[in-house]
Amino acid sequence: MTPETPHAASILIAEDSAPMRNFLCAALEDRLDDVEVVTAESGFAALRLLPSRSFQLLITDINMPDINGLELIHYLRENEHYRHIPILIVSTEASEEDRKRGLALGADAYLNKPFDPEALESAVAPLLGRKEKS
Amino acid sequence: MSREKETARREFVSEAEEIIEALSGDVAGFETGLKAGAVKPAVVNKIFREVHSLKGLAGMLGFEKVSTLSHDLEDLLDRLRLGKIPPSHGLVNILFESIELLNQLVASISRQGEEGEVDVVPLTSQIHTLAMQRAEAAEDVSLDWLDLDESTRKSFTEYEEHRLLENLRQQNAIYGVTVGFAFDVFDAELKKVTDALNEEGEVISTLPSSGGAEPDKIFFRLIFASNLPGDKVEALAAPFGGGVQPLLKRAFGPPTLPAPPPPVPEAEETLGVGDADLKSISSTVRVDIQKLDAVMNIVGELVLSKTALLRLSRQAASEHGSTPLAFELVKAARTLDRKVAALQASIIDVRMVPIGQIFNKLSRAARKISARNRKKIDLRFSGGDTELDKVMIEEITNPFLHLIRNAIDHGVESPEGRRERGKPEEGVVELKAYQKGNSVVVEISDDGSGIRPERIREAAVQQDIIVPDAELTFDECINLIFKPGFSSAKMVSDISGRGVGLDVVKANIMRLKGSIQVHSEPGQGTTFQIVLPITLAILQVLLVESGGKRFAIPLTSVSESLRITPEQIKTVEHREVYHLRDQTLPLIRLERFFNLAAPESPSGTTSPAAARNGRLFVVVVQAAERRAGLVVERLAGEQEVVIKSIGTTLSGLAGLAGVCELGENELVLVLDIGSLLEGVLEERSAAAAPTT
Repeated sequence: MTPETPHAASILIAEDSAPMRNFLCAALEDRLDDVEVVTAESGFAALRLLPSRSFQLLITDINMPDINGLELIHYLRENEHYRHIPILIVSTEASEEDRKRGLALGADAYLNKPFDPEALESAVAPLLGRKEKS
Repeated sequence: MSREKETARREFVSEAEEIIEALSGDVAGFETGLKAGAVKPAVVNKIFREVHSLKGLAGMLGFEKVSTLSHDLEDLLDRLRLGKIPPSHGLVNILFESIELLNQLVASISRQGEEGEVDVVPLTSQIHTLAMQRAEAAEDVSLDWLDLDESTRKSFTEYEEHRLLENLRQQNAIYGVTVGFAFDVFDAELKKVTDALNEEGEVISTLPSSGGAEPDKIFFRLIFASNLPGDKVEALAAPFGGGVQPLLKRAFGPPTLPAPPPPVPEAEETLGVGDADLKSISSTVRVDIQKLDAVMNIVGELVLSKTALLRLSRQAASEHGSTPLAFELVKAARTLDRKVAALQASIIDVRMVPIGQIFNKLSRAARKISARNRKKIDLRFSGGDTELDKVMIEEITNPFLHLIRNAIDHGVESPEGRRERGKPEEGVVELKAYQKGNSVVVEISDDGSGIRPERIREAAVQQDIIVPDAELTFDECINLIFKPGFSSAKMVSDISGRGVGLDVVKANIMRLKGSIQVHSEPGQGTTFQIVLPITLAILQVLLVESGGKRFAIPLTSVSESLRITPEQIKTVEHREVYHLRDQTLPLIRLERFFNLAAPESPSGTTSPAAARNGRLFVVVVQAAERRAGLVVERLAGEQEVVIKSIGTTLSGLAGLAGVCELGENELVLVLDIGSLLEGVLEERSAAAAPTT
């Protein structure tokens, strides 16, 4: 593998809306080379997936039915095994206050829903230490 | 439209429909809470999350009107859940109107791929106006009253923070309940704890933390608000091994605060890497019903093959004796029999959906109808978990809607009328579903004015349905409402006067192999009772022979079968009857009903086979409250069949449900007992009708 070749990256998406999960998954796989996307339909599902492998990014919604995005972020940031994982919040404008709280808890970036695949790539690429595709 | 876009559109429609359905039920729950003066915060939050999901989805796919409307609604609901605006009936009306509009938009997207001409602006203006309201200023409280570490405090969403403050305003105590569970069962266990706690208060936040010294465990700190004293909360948490910590630094009243629980262990060891599946954890898939129909047809073919194999294996055993080959063949046939039965049961199970799925649709329509009628209606549903075949659910929605519409339009009196009769202004319309044997019974009732038989009779005479001096019992009179073209409404209303009548409702129910009966008590109300088979796909039938032909009778309609002698048949008013346990059972000879070639016999009433042995078989059949005995020459055994529709040549014949194929490539007519009994009753009451 040459230094220009991106390293394989596993991305975990915690999002309760199935079409939104599918959209995120398809957009990431289409636009980023060598990524593996794992989806969780709830915060609980994300908790269960976290120990299963090494993730390089967590993308999370805030409003979810069991534990919400902030609680998930808190869990990652207080746990030495997951503390290093970059976190991207995807939320709507109405959750502005919560998004600020997420950033204060240690999330790295946020993206307002709705967004297009280019905006997603722009937000995700730096968190994975990659350049965007031109 | 490209294939990807088409797929995305279909996925959107499906998800949006599901969200709107859920929304509709939750708004109804919100309204009920509002009426009772106890709006549940969890319901408001759920409504907010549903609108939030719809907004995200619509925005992503560029459906601007859905997006705009749900954006404004989300904002309004956010203000509501944060206590910035008060709950009100005006708000409920706006929510229902929004659901109606969202439905129209999604239906348009489903039909033509775009949102169409629907204008959302008037409604969004109303939403903006409502969002400007202010809730009454509440007594000032602060999170500083709580003993919370900075990290926990930071993890509260704005909503959770609001709920904490709201509970403090209500002088509830706040507790931290710490529970730990094995990683593989934590979600189910945690649900048990939260359900138990929510019975006695409100679980505001669920904060996970790692197992530390116990790497296979995960801990949760539940922030719980309740008016219970600490010892009671401890008792609640004890069965789950939970520790309880009071978080309120200042006391409102007398809650006894328990000793602090053991601290949550710090993370010290590496979490074990489980073998969790890396795919989505969702355990459900959506399947097009047509695909399930295709699988069901294959299962039907398998049932035929299984029957043939069973027959051949028995034949081999009887013709060749107990050879190893015959033994193996019988064994293989029995195994196939068991597996096909299991497959069949599984497919039927997959097709089953709870009837509650249509409650929201009916509720929305009922709301509209009662508003247009200026009537106050308390619409109640029960038995939503009762399951029916998905196809049946689709088919019964309109007949049910018509019956509810009728109940509101014609059954329940105006508020003034009810007051005059000493009834509460608000009328009750109820849909109750339950399973009874192999059938599902649905009762739609109202506490309105009831059906007055003399009015029905008068209208039936005017409409030339009966002669003026026809002798009819109370029930026969009431059942005239199902006659084609019958109308007793003095004023054709805007709502019930249009569309299908009760004859069409009945025809639709009967097409589904169901039956409908009406019971009414003048002044007290009316109940329509509908009995439906659980599925139409596979039937267990009794095969009989009559007039030299084989017929299949659905076993669900068969009460018993008897063997009688021709002498036991009596004649009442030129009709054959049999006295069965003190009841007079009308008899029907199938060969006569279907005008088959009359078998030659000395008496002219019995078949050759019956004449030979002097015995007849009577199959007692029942549809709703109607019973009769089918006189047949032979009972040919029970069998499972896949029922198919009849071709156009026979489609006009009453008494036929469809056709099934037997193992020997023989096509057999399946009887529709409901319409057959009705056909006979028609014939027997013909004398009561006027001649034309």
